[in-house]
Amino acid sequence: MSQAGYHPVLDPALAPPFPKAALPVLRNPQLRKNVAHAIDVIQAKRARLVTEKSDWQELRAAGAAIRDHALANLGAYLEQFEERCTAAGGTVHWAADAAEARQIILDILRRENASEVIKIKTMTSAEIQLNPFLEASGVKAYETDLAEIILQLGHEEPSHIVVPALHVNRSQVREIFAHSMGINDLSDEPKVLTAAARNYLRQKFLTVPTAISGANFLVAETGSVSVVESEGNGRMCLTLPRTMITLAGIEKVIPRFTDLEVMLQVLARSATGERMNPYTSVWSGVTPGDGPERFHVVLLDNGRSSILAKKTERQTLRCIRCAACMNGCPVYRQTGGHAYGSVYPGPIGAILTPQLMQMHHAQSLPYASSLCGACYEVCPVKINIPEVLLELRSQVVNQERRQVKKFFDPMYLGLRAANVAFSSASLFHAVQFFGRIGLKMFTGSDGWIHRLPSLGGKWTQTRDLRGLPKQTFHSWWEMRQRATRQKEAG
Amino acid sequence: MSTPSNSRNTILERVRNATRTAELSSDRVAAYEALPRAYIRKGRLNAAERVALMIERLREYDADVIETGPEGLAGAIATQLKASGRRTFVAPEGLPAEWMAGGFEWKIDHGLSASEIEQCEGVVTGASCGVADSGTIVLHHSARDGRRVATLLPDWHLCILNASQVVETLPEYFAGCSIAPTLATYISGPSATADIEMTRIKGVHGPRFLNVIVVRDLAQN
Repeated sequence: MSQAGYHPVLDPALAPPFPKAALPVLRNPQLRKNVAHAIDVIQAKRARLVTEKSDWQELRAAGAAIRDHALANLGAYLEQFEERCTAAGGTVHWAADAAEARQIILDILRRENASEVIKIKTMTSAEIQLNPFLEASGVKAYETDLAEIILQLGHEEPSHIVVPALHVNRSQVREIFAHSMGINDLSDEPKVLTAAARNYLRQKFLTVPTAISGANFLVAETGSVSVVESEGNGRMCLTLPRTMITLAGIEKVIPRFTDLEVMLQVLARSATGERMNPYTSVWSGVTPGDGPERFHVVLLDNGRSSILAKKTERQTLRCIRCAACMNGCPVYRQTGGHAYGSVYPGPIGAILTPQLMQMHHAQSLPYASSLCGACYEVCPVKINIPEVLLELRSQVVNQERRQVKKFFDPMYLGLRAANVAFSSASLFHAVQFFGRIGLKMFTGSDGWIHRLPSLGGKWTQTRDLRGLPKQTFHSWWEMRQRATRQKEAG
Repeated sequence: MSTPSNSRNTILERVRNATRTAELSSDRVAAYEALPRAYIRKGRLNAAERVALMIERLREYDADVIETGPEGLAGAIATQLKASGRRTFVAPEGLPAEWMAGGFEWKIDHGLSASEIEQCEGVVTGASCGVADSGTIVLHHSARDGRRVATLLPDWHLCILNASQVVETLPEYFAGCSIAPTLATYISGPSATADIEMTRIKGVHGPRFLNVIVVRDLAQN
C-alpha cells in the first residue's frame, strides 16, 4: 500500500524518464501541498540562520576548499583513514560496487549470527539497495529514524535526503502507524505519533546487537567517523549494539579533525535551518567499556572514482548531503523527489545519479532543471550545479546523436539541417524565407502561435509563441541603409 | 566479484589515476595549510557576554538553564533534582561526591548495563566545553562527562557547565583540542525531530529534558 497512491521507482536503471515520472506528482495536489509546506518551513529557517552568520561566504569558501583538497588527495587520505581507524580498533573494508558492499555487510552480519539489524538513516545504504537484499538473505533491517520508520512501515520511498518522508502528512502517518503498530486510538498529533515511534523502537535499541550507519564525515587524521542527527536514534545505534557497521562513500573523507569546525557550521544551517543539530557524534574505532566491541567501516566506490577523474564533474563529490539545493529548487518544489527515480533527488541528484550510473541511465535528469542557479547559490560547498548540468547535457547529446535510432529523431534531423543551413549565407536566407512562410501558416489572427507540430509542439504545449514580425532585422537594416544612401545622394 | 584486497587496490588505483597524486608529500601538506580560512575563528565577546549568549542559545533549544556561584552548586543541583520529580539518577564514575545530593537514589556507573541505566529516571554529568554561538554542550566522555550510554537512555539530563569552559565560537573549541578526542558528542538542545510536517517535537529517543547549571567560576562573573 502506498499512501501517495502511486508507486515510484527509485532505481535509476528502471525508472521512467523525469518528465514522465513527474506526471503522477503534478496531478496529485495533496502531495504537492505536503512538499511545498515542508520546503517553505525549512527555507524560512535556513534563510534566517544563514543571514545571522556574517561569515557565511567565508565558511562556504573554506568548505569548498577543504572538500576539494580532500578529493585531490583522496587516495592518500583514504589510506590514512584506514591506517588510523585500524589502529583504533576498527576494521576497514573496501567495496568496488554495490554488490560487493552488500555482500561484505551480509558476511559480517552472518559472522555475528544476526537475524536483525538496527539502522541509522543512510542514503548510501538506499543507494546500494541494502534493505531488500538483507531481507532476502534472512536479516530483518529496522530503520530507526522517524522519517525512515514512516517510509518502511508505509512501504513508501524516500523523496528527500534529509527529511525523506516530507511528502507524507500527519494524517497519512497516523494511518501508517495505526495500521502497522496495531494502535487504533492514535491521534494525528505529531507529538503523539513521535511518542508511538519511540515506544515502537525502544526494545529494539536495547536488544538488537548489530547496527548499520552511514557517515557524514570520515576524518583521515584520527580515523574517526562522524554522524550528525537530531533524534538520538543514531546515538542509540552507535552506542548500544555489540557490533557496528558504517557504510560510507569514499568521498566522505576530510583531512583533519579541525575541519569539522567548518563542516558542522554549514551543515545544520543548510540542512534543517538550525544553528547546530541536536546530536553530533564522533568516534574512533572501538573504546573499551564505551560502545560497540567490534566496529567495521565499508568504503564504497560504486562509480565515485570515475566522477573524480573528470574535471568539471569532480565538484559533485564535494557534496555533504545537506539538501539545501533541493529545498531551493523550483523544479523539485513542483515535482517532489520521486520523479528523479533515484534516492538522490533534486539538483544534486540530477548531476550525481547519471554519473553514478556512468551515464548509462538517468539521462533525462540533467534536463530536470531551469538552470536558474538557486542550487549553486545555497550550496554550502559551492558546487556549481548548473555548470555540471550543462556538461552532462552535452554528454547526453553526444551519446544520442551517434545512436542509429535517433537518426530520424526530429530534433537531430533539425539540428543536422540547421548545420547545413548555417554553413552558407545564401542557404540561410533561403531557409529563412521558406521558414517564415511556413510559420505564417500557424500564426493566428491575434499575431500569436498557439500550436506547433512535432518538436515545436513541446513549446506550445505550455506557452504561446509570438508570431514573426513582417520583416527580418536584416531586411529592415538593408532598407534603412538604402533610404539613407538615397537621402545622401538626393 | 573481486576479493577484498583486490578491491582495495582497484579502488586506490582508480582514485590515484583520477587525481594523479599518490602521497601526502610536504607540498601537499603545505597546500592544506594554505587553504582559505577567512571565517570567524576568534570570538569578540567578553566573558560575561559569552556566558549570557550560551544561556540564551540553550534556552532557544528549550533547555532549562540556571546560574549559580561555585559555593551554591550543590544546593542548585539538589533543587533541580527535586523539581524534576524524579528519584533515581545515574552518576558517572568521576562525578564529584558533593554533587550527589542526599534523598535520591544514585546508581554509580562502574559499568552499568544498558537496562540498568534505562531504569534510571535521570543523569547528572559534567561537560568538556560549551560553545556559545550554537548553544552546544561538548562531551568528551571523561569520567565526569559519563559514558555515551549514560547521557542517552535516561529521559532527563542535568549537565554542570563551568563558565570558564564556555568558548564563543566552534573554531575556538577545536583550537582548544590539542589532541583530538577518541569519543565526542556535541549536544545542542534535547533530542528532537521535525519529520512530521516539519513540526518540531522535543524528545524522540534521547533525553527529552536537557537541564544545564552554569557555574560562575570566573572572577568577573
